[in-house]
Amino acid sequence: MGGSSNTTTTTSGGAGGKDKDRDRAKGSSVSFTEGEKVLAYHGPLLYEAKVQKTENREDEWRYFVHYLGWNKNWDEWVASDRLLKLTEENVRKQLELKNQSGDKTVRTGGRSAQHNPKGSNADAKGDKEDTKGLVKGKKRKNQLGVEVAMIPKHEKERRSSESLLMSQFPVTLKKQLVDDWEFVTQLGKLVKLPRSPTVDDILTKYLEYRVKKDNKISDSCAEVTKGLRCYFDKALPAMLLYKKEQKQYKEEIKGDVSPSTVYGAEHLLRLFVKLPELLSSVNMEEDALNKLQQKLLDILKFLQKNQVHFFLSAYDGDSKGADGAKGK
Amino acid sequence: MEAAADEEQEGLSAQSPAQAPPSSASSLPKEQSQVELELRLLQALEFYPPSKLKGIHRHFILYGLMEYLRKSLDRQFSADEVLQLLDRFFNLEMLKPDDDEKDNFGQTEEFALPDNFFKKEE
Repeated sequence: MGGSSNTTTTTSGGAGGKDKDRDRAKGSSVSFTEGEKVLAYHGPLLYEAKVQKTENREDEWRYFVHYLGWNKNWDEWVASDRLLKLTEENVRKQLELKNQSGDKTVRTGGRSAQHNPKGSNADAKGDKEDTKGLVKGKKRKNQLGVEVAMIPKHEKERRSSESLLMSQFPVTLKKQLVDDWEFVTQLGKLVKLPRSPTVDDILTKYLEYRVKKDNKISDSCAEVTKGLRCYFDKALPAMLLYKKEQKQYKEEIKGDVSPSTVYGAEHLLRLFVKLPELLSSVNMEEDALNKLQQKLLDILKFLQKNQVHFFLSAYDGDSKGADGAKGK
Repeated sequence: MEAAADEEQEGLSAQSPAQAPPSSASSLPKEQSQVELELRLLQALEFYPPSKLKGIHRHFILYGLMEYLRKSLDRQFSADEVLQLLDRFFNLEMLKPDDDEKDNFGQTEEFALPDNFFKKEE
């Protein structure tokens, strides 16, 4: 503890791989100056910060730090045991801690930062975020009563990019989605509704295909398709439409009508893009999640096999004459 | 008659448990596998809380339960079987859907493709 650490607290004795508590050595002789850039612990992770003020109280130094890139609301007084010098080695430690925390929601303390959940397409958000991938946001309790941050958009993207489903997404279907994006957002066209086959039809066809192949009815397959149908009906208006499709949605889906009986493969495919995010709420065991993703990939392959029959090759101009659309 | 009944009862202690007279289920020791089944189910609920069985995630929660039981007891479970099992412990009709739904679907968000979809594959 009272080691000869002049510069950093971590170099003495090669402290790799030990519990992080050892870094918070009491009685450490490290001190920091006003204006100095440091690394500061906030919860289990390290963040780049700047010392705004210093104070000596009862022979102990305290530092008022501002976390770089974060709202001033997070600024706080800390003791030297929460700070590390900004050296290459400590930055590596910061990275290490971040990787250890993995995909789990990072718990944060402190007050809620300003957070704008209505993200636009771009990753720009109201509250700036550190490039090292911090996850801070509104405090919220999950089902276990533990405070977790509300998941900002970039975290959703990260989860999506790490999921098995996304990494093995069939290439021709990716292209299908890009064409879809182009038709709707760039060319002002729309999918003509109602579609045939509908999402409902497609999921039913998939089950039939599986029964034929396996020579038996798989209960788990059935449950998965039911789950997808359920997600689709709720998710379609909430997160599967481009802005230009909202009007059409309101016109086509009235009263109790389920979107899965009106929309088709084009929109079903978009659901798959959102699945990692949706499934993160289920908190599935790793094994079960892997099995599930295999099943989902199987469904995608089924869509791919039937791409010509299920998907439109061309979309309609907006027949009701939306703003500046090319009618047809 | 009473004597016979007495005899029967005395005889009981000398005889093997297999010959115990039928009585209400609660006083009989449960089969080992039945106990294990219920135990596994209750363990599974740590991951897959019953409260989610009414929300939009319900089919995947059920899927998770089916998988958990299949893995720990080494046999297939149908969705109905799992629901029946749950029914013994919970009144499924009375379950209220989770609040989580509001978080997922409360606000409308425009659909956006991840950036890597736009990159050219080799």
